[in-house]
Amino acid sequence: MEGSDTYLIRPNHQYKFKSAIVKECIREIVRERLSGMLYDSEEVSELSRSLADDIKDKVKNAGFDRYKLVVQVVIGEQRGQGVKMSSRCLWDADTDNYAEDVFMNDSLFCVVAVFGSYYY
Amino acid sequence: MHSDKKITKEDTWRPADLRRHIREEGLGDDYVKKRDDNERKHRAGESIERRRRDPEKESRRERDKPRDSTRERRDEDKKDRYADRRKEGSLDRRGVKERDSRDDRDREKRRERDKLVDGKRYDDDYKRKEREHEKERDKERHRDKERERDRERGNEEGKDKRREERDKERRREERNREHRTERERRRHEESGDGERDRMEKLEREKRDRHRERERPKDEYQVKRNDKERRERHGDRKHLEVKEEREHKEEQRRHGEEKERIPKERGYDEKRKHDSESRENRDLKGSGKEVRHHGGDRDRAERDKHKERRHREEEKPERNHHRDGTISKKAASDKSHKHETKTEVSNDEDLADQEYEDDFEKLDYEEDFEEMDESANEDEDEEEPQPPEVGEEREELTEQKRKEIEAIQRAMDEENERVGTAQSRQIPSKKEEERPKWSGGSENSQSRASPRGKFIDFVAAKQREVSKKVATKQKKRSTELLRLIDLDFSMTVSLLDLPPVNEYDMYIRTFGTANTKQAYVQCNEDNADRDIQTEEIEVCEKWTQHPPEHNGACGDPNLSQEARDKSEMNFDSRRLTAFLRSASQVMVVLLEEDRAERKSLSKLRSQTDTLSFSDGSLQLNTKLPFLYGRRISLVHFSQVQRHTMMSVHRPTTKPSAVRLDSCTIICIWNIWEPSRPQKVLVYESEVQCCCFSPGKAIMVFAGTSVGSVVLWDLREHTSDHYSLKIGEDEWTFRQPTFSTDAVMAGSGHFSSVTSVEAVPSTVAGGLRPEVPLLASEEESAGLSFQLASLDEIGVLNFWVVVELPKANEAGSPTDLGLRPGGKVKLLHSSQLLTAERVSPRDAAKTGPLQTLHFKFLPTDSNHFFIGTNMGLVNHETSHGLKAPPKFYRFQEAGVRPVDITSIHFSPFRQHLFLVGCGDGSIRLHAVSHEQPVAEWKNSTAGEPVVSLQWTQTRPTVFCVLDAASNLHIWDLLKNDSEPVVTERMDSDRVTAMAVFGDSGQQNTYSGIALAHESGNIEMQYFKRHFTVAITAEEDKLESVMAEAF
Repeated sequence: MEGSDTYLIRPNHQYKFKSAIVKECIREIVRERLSGMLYDSEEVSELSRSLADDIKDKVKNAGFDRYKLVVQVVIGEQRGQGVKMSSRCLWDADTDNYAEDVFMNDSLFCVVAVFGSYYY
Repeated sequence: MHSDKKITKEDTWRPADLRRHIREEGLGDDYVKKRDDNERKHRAGESIERRRRDPEKESRRERDKPRDSTRERRDEDKKDRYADRRKEGSLDRRGVKERDSRDDRDREKRRERDKLVDGKRYDDDYKRKEREHEKERDKERHRDKERERDRERGNEEGKDKRREERDKERRREERNREHRTERERRRHEESGDGERDRMEKLEREKRDRHRERERPKDEYQVKRNDKERRERHGDRKHLEVKEEREHKEEQRRHGEEKERIPKERGYDEKRKHDSESRENRDLKGSGKEVRHHGGDRDRAERDKHKERRHREEEKPERNHHRDGTISKKAASDKSHKHETKTEVSNDEDLADQEYEDDFEKLDYEEDFEEMDESANEDEDEEEPQPPEVGEEREELTEQKRKEIEAIQRAMDEENERVGTAQSRQIPSKKEEERPKWSGGSENSQSRASPRGKFIDFVAAKQREVSKKVATKQKKRSTELLRLIDLDFSMTVSLLDLPPVNEYDMYIRTFGTANTKQAYVQCNEDNADRDIQTEEIEVCEKWTQHPPEHNGACGDPNLSQEARDKSEMNFDSRRLTAFLRSASQVMVVLLEEDRAERKSLSKLRSQTDTLSFSDGSLQLNTKLPFLYGRRISLVHFSQVQRHTMMSVHRPTTKPSAVRLDSCTIICIWNIWEPSRPQKVLVYESEVQCCCFSPGKAIMVFAGTSVGSVVLWDLREHTSDHYSLKIGEDEWTFRQPTFSTDAVMAGSGHFSSVTSVEAVPSTVAGGLRPEVPLLASEEESAGLSFQLASLDEIGVLNFWVVVELPKANEAGSPTDLGLRPGGKVKLLHSSQLLTAERVSPRDAAKTGPLQTLHFKFLPTDSNHFFIGTNMGLVNHETSHGLKAPPKFYRFQEAGVRPVDITSIHFSPFRQHLFLVGCGDGSIRLHAVSHEQPVAEWKNSTAGEPVVSLQWTQTRPTVFCVLDAASNLHIWDLLKNDSEPVVTERMDSDRVTAMAVFGDSGQQNTYSGIALAHESGNIEMQYFKRHFTVAITAEEDKLESVMAEAF
């Protein structure tokens, strides 16, 4: 019985995680929320959380079926320091993808990475 | 059976008996457990924990059903294991314990595992159970027989284990069934109660009643109390068992106890359980106990009451087993306590028991479900209760804690006592007690375990669910992982922000702090605009067709250009002028030199011929156009003494040049005798001519046709018609201006006899020291007057006007002006000078002819006209007439004698000589009518043609008579006759002019003689005629003084 189970191991093309679209979502929200913002260490944790939620909601509505989304928002202050962020994933490269966008202004930088993992 | 058991109990334990006993015990246990369970179900509603879980229960009711079944099965399993273990004999207790605990865990797992397949499993179970039940039912009928057989077999322990197990199993099944039915019965009993409130009330009443009854019981029945206490303890345990762990522990302990039973045979089980209960109690911890004290107490009492009741029921049951009457009695016992309710329950009990005994369990499942449902219902119904109970409990706590403590103490004491008196206790009592106890303990256990299980369920349910999900997922993942390849993505750099170096950072933050913009560039938009195209140059030009000489085209802007050019060319013009004059000078010098050598040689040869001559110079008149022409006039410029003009009359002889009818005037430089400087042409005969005052730049001539013509010698040669004759090219200049037919009204109507330029009042121009190059005068528009006299005495004054610019195209207004000419004549005034001296004279002599006229050199207002009456009229051009009116001969009277020549002395300008046609010569002073001197017959009666003062000596003059005799007078030497008289017969002299210059070092003086042949000979006077003597002018003065 279980052996006869069928699995949809590849998303339909139209529901596939498209990083360009997601990137646009991110960009839109981040631009809207962060433009002209000054870094405030007290607000930033709440801000990043709400940003992540907003982005997650928006990406959810973008219709990526059967995708688990992980949204990571990092906001840091710009003080001339060097920052290096990178990610590495163990995933099925055929289905899973990610999108990232960086927003910077004089006061802060914001890195948003959205990972979409297909839920077989 | 009873008897057997009792017997065995009282006697030493035989293995078989023991086994059986345990079996029975287990049976009883199960039974009690079930009952307790039911009880618990009633009471459990009161527990806070349960209440807490109630919502969950609703949802899990469905799942509870199978679980119940599994619980039963688990029990079976437990029993199985138990039996196995027993078979194995004495095992390490520890190991067993561990295994038990492991078993518990296994049980949990199994339960979960079972649940996964519950539906199916359930069915299976159900079927199996039914099958088993049927089997068991069959077997059960023989059970008694079997048991008896077993017992008969007695000590034969070589019994087949298999069979034993089978029996055991069978028995267990039966037990379960019993248990279940019992439970059912209970539930029915309770559900029959109906109203909860009433229930409560009844219970409370019951409780009160029981409490009253309890006290005596407690007092004399310590054992019972003990039992109750134990039960209470169990209850308490049940209440307290909220944590699974504790529960498990308890179960394990029970397990241990069960194991211990076969091992420690010597021990009284009751005691064991007491201690155990004590242990449990200790283990549970006082805090908890204290917490639940009131409740415990209260409940304990209630329990007690109930237990008692149950015991009462059980006792008959146990004693008489399936004796319906006894149970009925018990039921009736109960019923008389609880009136209505109990009756129903009794009936039910009865029915249940009957059912349990005889009825084939066809409705098992339904009952089971019903039970569960009812249980749940009960639970649901009981929900509102707890608060009341809680309140009660709180009220009771303080008072009852002491009581409870006292009871506990009593329990402990009794436990000890029981422990010591264990062996001596009455078997029957023990026997009696044991089931009770075991029922209690089992009850506690069973009560605890289902209860614990239930709680465990609720808690574990989640875990179970999650585990289920996890396993599901795990299965999924294992299946999927085969299909999917996972790989590491490339390490993606999300952000790489290089550090800003300190300087940049500083500049970024503070760099602009102190700066300000220091400059501004303005006017950025002021850009130049360039136009690429260049302006077109426009200039006007005109042209004329047919082209005549070079003036065929030109443009109006040329004036400007020309002026510029003229300014620029001014120097060149001056240069050319200079060169011209210089070249002339050079040419003159060269020619002079040559001519001098020639003339010297000639002079020597000719010395004989002309006594007065120091040498002669021949002008080259042998030109083709001059050939055969007679020279009528020779005239020297008064300023430029070396410039001479000769008038050649038209010739009748045909010549190569077609200028026969024209008068040709040649302008000579006496120092350049080889060729004339300019050649002027006029169509008619020229009667008289003169140079312009000052520099000899213009020539005026009066013609026989009554016109006055003018030549501007400055005109360029290209403007005039040039003719190539032989090798030389000659330019024949037409007059620049002519009055021919232009001024008809104001002009002359007879031949012009004389033209004279009116000397300017300033007499400077007459001086011989006029510079050679009077360029200013030349360039400045010179303006002077000209007078012309015709035969009939009309004197015209003309104004010579030089135009500022020559018009090549000709002038439409000045018709007499030649195109390109710049000088014109304007008629100024006209005078009629012919005045008769007297009418008588006129009648005698005929019409007066004015033949000659001269201006007084010092005053241009006065002019003197020679007439044909031998008189010289003295007139003025304007103003009053000045005396004398005329100058006459010494003797009075008028004679018809032509005045041929008048000449003023260059040294004494008020003296003039008059030559007459009768050959007489008069010397007049201006102021006197009569002559200073008169010489008659000096020419032997020949008419005087010309007479002239010499330029260098005041007292010497020359006279040419018509017989070609030249007379030279020197008044200083001889004032009565001429000093020299030369007769030139070979070639008659037709005209003569005296030239000379006294002002300069090389004083020269000579006479130009125009011969009949056309030659012009320049004779230089000898030295005594040239060099002036100081006494000469005094001589003239003396002569004048002598005369007046």
